[in-house]
Amino acid sequence: MNRNLYQPVNGEITEVIDESPTIKTFVVVPEEKMKFKTGQFVELTLPGEGEAPFTPSSSPAVTDQMDITIMKAGRMTGQLHSCRKGQKVGIRGPYGNGYPIDDFVGKEIYIVGGGVGLAPIRSLFLTLVDRIKDFETVVCRYGAKTPEDFIYKNTLFGSWQKIDGVDLRLTVDKANGQWKDNVGVVTTILKPDDVDIKNAAAVVCGPPIMMKFATLKLLEFGFAAKDIYLSMEKNMSCGFGKCGHCMIGKYYVCKDGPVFTYEQIKDYPNIWD
Amino acid sequence: MRKMEKVFISKLKPFLDAVAEQMDIYVPKKSGQHYVFSRYDPSASSEVEFNNIRACMPVKEFLFPLRELAAVFPESLEPEDIKPFAVFGLKDCDLRSIEILDKVFLEDEFEDPFYVARRQKMFIISSDCFEPGESCFCNVLDGQPYAESGFDLNVSQVKNGFIVEADSQKGRDFLDKNSNLFTEVPESALNERDKIRAETKKKLQENNAELKFDATIRDIMTETQDCDVYDEEAKTCVECQACTRVCPTCHCFYLYDTKQKDYFGKMKMWDSCMRLTYAQVAGGANPRKVLGERLKHRLMHKLAYFFDRYGVNMCVGCGRCVDAEAGDIDIRRVLKKLNQELKGKGRKEAKATK
Repeated sequence: MNRNLYQPVNGEITEVIDESPTIKTFVVVPEEKMKFKTGQFVELTLPGEGEAPFTPSSSPAVTDQMDITIMKAGRMTGQLHSCRKGQKVGIRGPYGNGYPIDDFVGKEIYIVGGGVGLAPIRSLFLTLVDRIKDFETVVCRYGAKTPEDFIYKNTLFGSWQKIDGVDLRLTVDKANGQWKDNVGVVTTILKPDDVDIKNAAAVVCGPPIMMKFATLKLLEFGFAAKDIYLSMEKNMSCGFGKCGHCMIGKYYVCKDGPVFTYEQIKDYPNIWD
Repeated sequence: MRKMEKVFISKLKPFLDAVAEQMDIYVPKKSGQHYVFSRYDPSASSEVEFNNIRACMPVKEFLFPLRELAAVFPESLEPEDIKPFAVFGLKDCDLRSIEILDKVFLEDEFEDPFYVARRQKMFIISSDCFEPGESCFCNVLDGQPYAESGFDLNVSQVKNGFIVEADSQKGRDFLDKNSNLFTEVPESALNERDKIRAETKKKLQENNAELKFDATIRDIMTETQDCDVYDEEAKTCVECQACTRVCPTCHCFYLYDTKQKDYFGKMKMWDSCMRLTYAQVAGGANPRKVLGERLKHRLMHKLAYFFDRYGVNMCVGCGRCVDAEAGDIDIRRVLKKLNQELKGKGRKEAKATK
């Protein structure tokens, strides 16, 4: 008989990193190695409390532990935020399709992120950087509410700024203190000549409202709907296309996604809500 | 020797007793206007009723219980050892609902171990309908009032007894093992059965004569998504969720975690897409805040999305939702209205191209 789909692998939180006032990264070590493709997600269980889906933010090249970056947004994430090092957890997965990295080869990759949406993007970014020569260029545009709300600050303002083949720009909705760079939502730093649209793949991940307007902007620039990859956030519960909560039209976000091209889902109702 | 395929028996009791000797068997029992399943007691003197129509509760209860323990921490959970069991009195619509559930829960790399355990141990004894209910409309969804496949045994009632037919190895083995109970099927009984089947089919067709469509149901659903029918229809809905509870193909479930005295458990429980927060995510975003949107999603899932994925409709036309709900949504009326919308749309488009 097959393994029980509902049984998580036991694991432990070995480190908790404060990223921003509302976001923490948890380093989770599962008892069994867990291979995942960048963009896939796992179901993280807090035993006795609940379970929620998260896309690991670490590189898939690391299989003995994973970083899970979590924004405090509801009951379950609130409880996770009060967890400390040593907390026992359960992990199911990985689930879903992940980013189609091989389809990206030879292209200009245009990453647009917002807020905690940088978590899956970080995993993607690390994957792309590992084989940066395979891609024409990686252009990353990322916005946070305020400078304090940036996550992965050390790398974001440090090593990521100096990678050959990577063009990274940041913005904040509202500046404070020392911020000298752009102020405005992330769509204000998207420019039609950021990438060669004919040979580019755009990856968008962030809050729904940001994903909506970023997508509209990209379409306005002339991007084809099939070249815009969206990491959809829905209520993924079982992880394998049965429980029904995450459906967008005929798709199960947990199984057919969470990464969809805009082309795939654009005609279904309320995709951004 | 050729295995037995079709036999005759004059009374149900010896047949059911023989099944009960091997395993628990659940039989239909009248409760109010409806039939429910209860465990058969061979020592009881009263004869089991032959249900003329599907039971009130859906067959999914036997395969996918309302609530079950799906995982345990920190030790893992082996699915409980399910003993063989039989259900008597399932109808063609029930069998087709099992086929649909199989597509979901027996999917290659994602087999649900709890469903598998029950499915393998279930001995399916179906029976012919001969009095379709007011809400039955299986004929509109490729069904019929009698099963021709998908059962272990099927029972057809005729004037002087019952024709018992096998459609699986398990069923043929049973007939062989109990051959002393049965006699050969008289030619007249077979003719009678054909006649009853044809009459029942005709009755169903007459009952649903008004349900005529100008396109496939899948196309009607897909083409009319933007109309107001769902919002209008949802006006009487009181969100009781009875429609999804009694639906034999609705299979949405909810996973939640519990603390017990000496373990943590992950539970799996039926859920309903008609529930307001069903699709809500942390932070409050909800793609279907409006009731009409939820009704549309439920019916689109049944009659378009599932079809696009698996090639069959996820509705068997059993009409349970029509009987059960506290509001006044009748899936047949919704379909009729949508068909009208489609026709109206066609006319508008034709006008526009002129």
